[in-house]
Amino acid sequence: MNGTRRGLNRTLLALLGLLLIAAAGLGILAGTSRGFALSWTEAGMDVWARIQERLGAARIPGTEISWWTVAVFSLLLFATVLLVCWIASQGTGRSNQVAQMQSEAGDTTVDTAVVSQAVKAALAQNTHVLSTSLQSWKTKGGSGITGTGLKLSVQARKGASPVELANDVEHLVTEIDALLGTQIPVLVRITSGTRSKFARSERVA
Amino acid sequence: MSNAPASKAPAKLQRAVRRLGLRETHSSRAALSIVTAAVLVAVLVWLMVEMVLSATGNAALLMSPAELARRTATVATETIPGALVAAGTVLAVLGIALLAAAVVPGRKARHIMGNPGGTSNPRSAVVVDSEVLAAAVSRIARTVAKIAPEQVSSSVGRKRIDVVLQPGSGLAADADSVKEAVEREVAGYGLRRPLAVTVSTPQTKASLHQAVGA
Repeated sequence: MNGTRRGLNRTLLALLGLLLIAAAGLGILAGTSRGFALSWTEAGMDVWARIQERLGAARIPGTEISWWTVAVFSLLLFATVLLVCWIASQGTGRSNQVAQMQSEAGDTTVDTAVVSQAVKAALAQNTHVLSTSLQSWKTKGGSGITGTGLKLSVQARKGASPVELANDVEHLVTEIDALLGTQIPVLVRITSGTRSKFARSERVA
Repeated sequence: MSNAPASKAPAKLQRAVRRLGLRETHSSRAALSIVTAAVLVAVLVWLMVEMVLSATGNAALLMSPAELARRTATVATETIPGALVAAGTVLAVLGIALLAAAVVPGRKARHIMGNPGGTSNPRSAVVVDSEVLAAAVSRIARTVAKIAPEQVSSSVGRKRIDVVLQPGSGLAADADSVKEAVEREVAGYGLRRPLAVTVSTPQTKASLHQAVGA
């Protein structure tokens, strides 16, 4: 439901995986073939010598530091910022407004709490339901300017018929449609949890 | 009960709903991404700290950048081959795990239910935990078999439902009628991925053993 960029997650994980596999291949090759290990060291020393040459050639006047060091440092800093952005992009997109409407007279917004209270009240007497929660998220194809969608989670009593629950909730969804005046995408989650495990099951089916 | 006629949802809404169902039943790989990114951030921050320390002429925390570069250049010959192979193997396992996480669908133990109205255009995506399905199936099975709740256990997998009946000693459970009832119940769920039902009792196992022994 949330705005996690799943394609990005998978692409980056795949790239890192390939990178690790490549490094692993080099390591195993160096461990098993003496010739490869020798040429690695030869090439490595060669490259390192050239790097040192470059470092020496581009000193910042009056210091021991090279411009290259500064460049590499900023590159690392940039990469770190990107990684932090990657972490921050997980699980985003929660909103607290379900619907918005603009007209000449003014803007109208409906808070998620309104719908949430209505749904909770409607399901409070339902014996199949242990608890209800409602969230709104920015969703592709959602309604309004923000493009919100609803997530309605219902914790089912052990043994409750999912069809009956789904029917009851579907009923509510049509009522929400009427309340809001538009149809927004709805995700209904029928879940099980610790409360489902410990609450007694309904004996009369 | 389900006479709320699901008014024909527009195509855009249907697409959004289908997308919601698919996203809810598959892993977003968020946890793994966060862990991976955090490890990388730690490494990069360490590198930057070392760079600053060496530029300001302070002692290195672990290794100065110059020493790190020199060691990387000569690691193949300065390390015993066994250690190189071992480190390579560990890296390979990690790499394959990351690649697998990226490629494998990562389905969660959840199922998409058809919409209750029975129409082909769902108004909402209904995603049910497998545990809820298993509990409902157990209830049907114990009602039909007339046994106690503790004597039935069901598990719902990606493609199948297994129901195990444990009637009291000397009593028989009618596995066939239980299977039929469970199949009827599950057919009513209209699951996006149909589940095959198997019902087993200790008796069926015993007769299997006999058949093998005979």
